[in-house]
Amino acid sequence: MTPLGWGRRYLMCPPTHFGVLYEINPWMHTEVAVDRDRARSQWEGLVSTLRAAGAEVVVVVPDESVPDMVFTANAGVVNLRGEGPPQFVPSHFRFPERQGETEIFAAWFAAQGFAVDRLRPELAHEGAGDALPFLDTLLSGYRFRSDQPAATELSRLTGAPVRSVELVDPRLYHVDITFCPLDDRRAMCAPMGWDAYGRRVVEALVPEPLWLTDEEALTFCANSVVVGSTVVMPVTPPRVGRQLEAWGFDVVDCDVGEFLKAGGGCRCLTLSLDVDLATATGPVT
Amino acid sequence: MPVVETFEVEGHIVDSLILAKVLDLILEAGADYRMVAVDIGRTSVDPSRAVLEVTAEDDAAIGRLAEQLRVHGANPVGSDDAALAVAEQDGVLPAGFYSTTNLATEARIDGRWVAVANPEMDCGLVVDRGGQPPAEPTVRTVPMHRVRAGDEIVVGNDGVRVRAPEKRRGVSTFEFMDSEVSSEKPKALLVRNLADRMRAARATGGRTLAVCGPAVVHTGGAPEVARLIRSGWVQVLFAGNGFAAHDLECNALGTSLGVSVAEGSPIDGGHSNHLRVINEVRRHGSIAAAVEAGYIDGGVMFECVTGAVPFVLAGSIRDDGPLPDVVTDVVAAADRMRELVGDVAVALMLATTLHAIATGNILPAGVETYCVDINQAVVTKLADRGSHQAHGIVTDVGPFLRQLADELGA
Repeated sequence: MTPLGWGRRYLMCPPTHFGVLYEINPWMHTEVAVDRDRARSQWEGLVSTLRAAGAEVVVVVPDESVPDMVFTANAGVVNLRGEGPPQFVPSHFRFPERQGETEIFAAWFAAQGFAVDRLRPELAHEGAGDALPFLDTLLSGYRFRSDQPAATELSRLTGAPVRSVELVDPRLYHVDITFCPLDDRRAMCAPMGWDAYGRRVVEALVPEPLWLTDEEALTFCANSVVVGSTVVMPVTPPRVGRQLEAWGFDVVDCDVGEFLKAGGGCRCLTLSLDVDLATATGPVT
Repeated sequence: MPVVETFEVEGHIVDSLILAKVLDLILEAGADYRMVAVDIGRTSVDPSRAVLEVTAEDDAAIGRLAEQLRVHGANPVGSDDAALAVAEQDGVLPAGFYSTTNLATEARIDGRWVAVANPEMDCGLVVDRGGQPPAEPTVRTVPMHRVRAGDEIVVGNDGVRVRAPEKRRGVSTFEFMDSEVSSEKPKALLVRNLADRMRAARATGGRTLAVCGPAVVHTGGAPEVARLIRSGWVQVLFAGNGFAAHDLECNALGTSLGVSVAEGSPIDGGHSNHLRVINEVRRHGSIAAAVEAGYIDGGVMFECVTGAVPFVLAGSIRDDGPLPDVVTDVVAAADRMRELVGDVAVALMLATTLHAIATGNILPAGVETYCVDINQAVVTKLADRGSHQAHGIVTDVGPFLRQLADELGA
């Protein structure tokens, strides 16, 4: 088993302005108050957990106009692409509430020396939230937040093969709530989030899936961060924890309950800065 | 009326099963598809592309389906309107004109697909804007010589699409027979099937056209054609001077090209019989006048005149006489034929090569065409000239017609 080649360097955004100020997924309820101090300490807890697991955390300055900026996973798609300047494809958000994030992140990445390559403006795609690498392939979700044709664009821009899965449950509105790559053979997989075609796509892609039950999937356990052999989980259903440990992973619980109120877990709060989508050249299967 | 729309889907549609899903959705919606083009990427990074022609029952159904397919990245191909050019002189199409086939054809005008009113091969397409706006534009085929200066003509191939004739469900005798043109077929069965097709056509208001060569008369088939006309099974007749002359000769003098139709033996001096009959009809001024005067009192042309069945006798360079009804200007003759093929649903090409091909050229592909000839080559020749819809029946036309008339109870 080879550990993931990415996931040791993260971009995060402090929850200075975080709150459930609008409702754009079934988890968000504006009448549920966010305890901002608690959110801050949970976020700091995640930062220190990741650092303890051996990851580096880089921080972007939050912007008051976009409270969901804390969910940096949705900033865009990062691709170090070997030599030359690294690449950043900023997201195009479906909802106006988040559209202000695009230019903030684009400016940040440009300042870091990234080449910023953009999707066609009419296509929505929410970055790593809807595109996770498994081996050389990006698994991209579509329907609620991202458009299927954006996958083709993403492939064209990054040079990586992209496989699309249709998301069918609005509670699992991003692919990163349904799918968590663990190493080069394994991933947590929530089939309830995909249609029958999507399930077959994942079956063909992942040699050893850890299939989550519906109940497990709805805990957001797939929205975990993997740092080498450490899995940092917002919630750990017992059976899932046992299986991960049996596979040799260290499972670390990290309470991000305030963020779950907005429909985001550990993965949503992080954007891996060290993804390298090496050009795949395998045959079409 | 079924509606056809072209969709395109691109990307990693094979690995992601998007193509499979799109095809399934089309079928689940009760629509059908035809793969127009599939370009599968060579590696897993290369995008694949599929172009689908989707047929749904109406505009609303295609609209609903388009909404569904859009989610999966399959979008209607933004088809361009057909390009138009104005004809500058009478009888001359603009350079680059769209050259038609005999298939059902549609042209996209002002963003809408408009069906071509009268499909015919080897023509141009002229767009009529109609009278007062907002009249819908119409599109019709136009043979070269009928173009008028100022006509709007479709040029290039963009914005034009053709539809292959629908395959009939199930295997019938004719599908079976289509494997090859062969004389080794059960004739009685073919006759019965043809009779069924003619009945079906008549029941739905379609007309049957007979295209007859002189051999119909020589082989004793003329009385059977007369029966079919008299009892309303054949409603349009195309022939040449020869067929009509021998039919009239047969009626007036009992011979066909000087051979007694009853006895089968040559009559003394019979070689000039048809000339004498043509001469008499010319004296009367027309076949109708000869019928009215009582000179002709039976036969195919008699039935046409008395039954008001329209006919076109087209001239040729070999004609004796010719009969006064023969249209000797071949371009005018073809135009007369065009006027009469409008609601023809079944065409019988009876023992004639050149007339069958000429008629095949002006028939839409949707017309069921049966080519009856003792010579296998005629059927092949007709198909080779673009009338792919032609079914071949290789047999002696005389006995065949008798069986057909009996089968139809004519």
